[in-house]
Amino acid sequence: MSPAFLYFIETVLNGLMTGVMYSLVALGFVLIFKASGIFNFAQGVMALFAALTLVGLLTGQVPFAHLINAIFGTDVHNWGPGLPEIVAILGTMLIMIALAWLVQKLVLKHLVNQEPIILFMATIGLAFFLEGLGDLMWGSDVKVLDVGIPSGGSFWWEDVTREWAVEGSDYYGMYIDKLDVVAAVVAIVLVVALTLFSQYTKMGRALRAVADDHQAALSVGISLHTIWLIVWSIAGFVALVAGIMWGAKSGVQFSLSLIALKALPVLILGGFTSIPGAIVGGLIIGVGEKLAELYIGPLVGGAIENWFAYMVALAFLLFRPQGLFGERIIERV
Amino acid sequence: MNVHTASEAIVPAAGEVLLSIDNVSLSFGGVKAIENVSFDIRKGEIRAIIGPNGAGKTSMLNVINGFYHPQQGTITFKGRVRQAMRPHEAASAGIARTFQNIALFRGMSTLDNIMTGRGMKMKRNMFWQALWAGPAEREELEHRLAVEKIIDFLEIEHIRKTPVGSLPYGLQKRVELGRALAAEPDLLLLDEPMAGMNLEEKEDMSRFIIDVNEQYGTTIALIEHDMGVVMDLSDRVVVLDYGKKIADGTPEEVRNNKDVIDAYLGVPHE
Repeated sequence: MSPAFLYFIETVLNGLMTGVMYSLVALGFVLIFKASGIFNFAQGVMALFAALTLVGLLTGQVPFAHLINAIFGTDVHNWGPGLPEIVAILGTMLIMIALAWLVQKLVLKHLVNQEPIILFMATIGLAFFLEGLGDLMWGSDVKVLDVGIPSGGSFWWEDVTREWAVEGSDYYGMYIDKLDVVAAVVAIVLVVALTLFSQYTKMGRALRAVADDHQAALSVGISLHTIWLIVWSIAGFVALVAGIMWGAKSGVQFSLSLIALKALPVLILGGFTSIPGAIVGGLIIGVGEKLAELYIGPLVGGAIENWFAYMVALAFLLFRPQGLFGERIIERV
Repeated sequence: MNVHTASEAIVPAAGEVLLSIDNVSLSFGGVKAIENVSFDIRKGEIRAIIGPNGAGKTSMLNVINGFYHPQQGTITFKGRVRQAMRPHEAASAGIARTFQNIALFRGMSTLDNIMTGRGMKMKRNMFWQALWAGPAEREELEHRLAVEKIIDFLEIEHIRKTPVGSLPYGLQKRVELGRALAAEPDLLLLDEPMAGMNLEEKEDMSRFIIDVNEQYGTTIALIEHDMGVVMDLSDRVVVLDYGKKIADGTPEEVRNNKDVIDAYLGVPHE
């Protein structure tokens, strides 16, 4: 194979794996949107908050340390060497469930039957609140998240692919980050699990029922509040997974919450109501932006990766607003 | 399933009271939807609630199944007095309903729609559910059987796997009835079960309603505009107008009541 073709394959592979990471974030949006019609603007911040909490637990940070020190004149920072990875992840999950419960109790419960735009505004408020809370609890410095996921390029794969190149060409093999591979596997497992859950269990059927018609769901004895609690907890879990993967990749910092913006074009492409859509949309965006960078980038001076996704989304909005897999919205007027 | 044979059928007029509405008032802001209404529904009867548009009939059903919480009055269901309960509590207490504008889960198949009606009866915990193994699997199959019976009963075998959103109106109404029946309710609320149907469909639906009442002994409260149907089906009729009760009795009595005739013919409201 010629090096040019191998570059192409490498770009596609890396694109696919970046796409999986986008899908992870988009998945959280889709889950909540399907079950409650709420576009949860706070999904990205939830991922950030989960990652911050996880780092805090792993390193044994005292929550609200700055606040405590400022008020009481103390100098506390750490309460110990930190928790083992598994315990910390479980602990973070519990905190995300508690968060879902609080959101349900303090915000959503009071907004039942309100216009979608009001619920949307509430989630914007929630995003700002969580962002502030995360900073206040764990500090705003950039943190390293290490839960023992292998990372760095795979030498084995480099060696294998070097053999593929035509004799005599100066090809050094493909670069693939092991972290990306792990993320892809985790995402696949997550999606399969969620799909089985929603198709084959009573709770899954209840979730689909609520997504379809609130009133009818109530009449067959489904409790909206319970369902929303479950959905927000699952979204919290997905946020945690996304937070771990993105945090391990690029450090835990405020910009982590901005990956939510990358999820938007993914959602527009895949459709807001489709779990497979979130996956396929993520993959298309991931591959698309990497290929565009490689082939179109040089023509326009590069950095195309940053806006390519939005261009694709714009095109979709013009020609297929319901996305690839979304339900076509027909409204009688 | 709780099947009553014809010989066991309960005599409606003398039956015990299943649900009793006492001095219920409901208002939205300044608008009074229901004003001081009292009536009861006896075990095993078919009770019709009629009245002109905007009389508060649907509001009444919404009060009974917990969608609306009345400001005044009490509701006694199976001997338990309450002012209001949440819809899922009403459902688990044995109240099922259908809607005026069909409220089905449009993306789901007929089978899945009716299965949701069994939700209250499925008790296995989430852990088994998530694994879909052991007890949960057995339970799922058990409920599938009950649902298949309902499907047979309503003669909708041929649309078992069809997403209900694509079904014709009359069949959707039937699926909705099936979902309500799946809960094996003690009290079945039907909000205009025959609205928008042609004659043949109305006859089918009437037959199903009578069969449900006679075979399963289910108590039924229904709202209907077709007077012929109401007079044929129901044991007793309560008439609402402008949120107030203006008549209550057998179809015969109601038909000859002067207030009812005035309300329907539109004699000016004082």
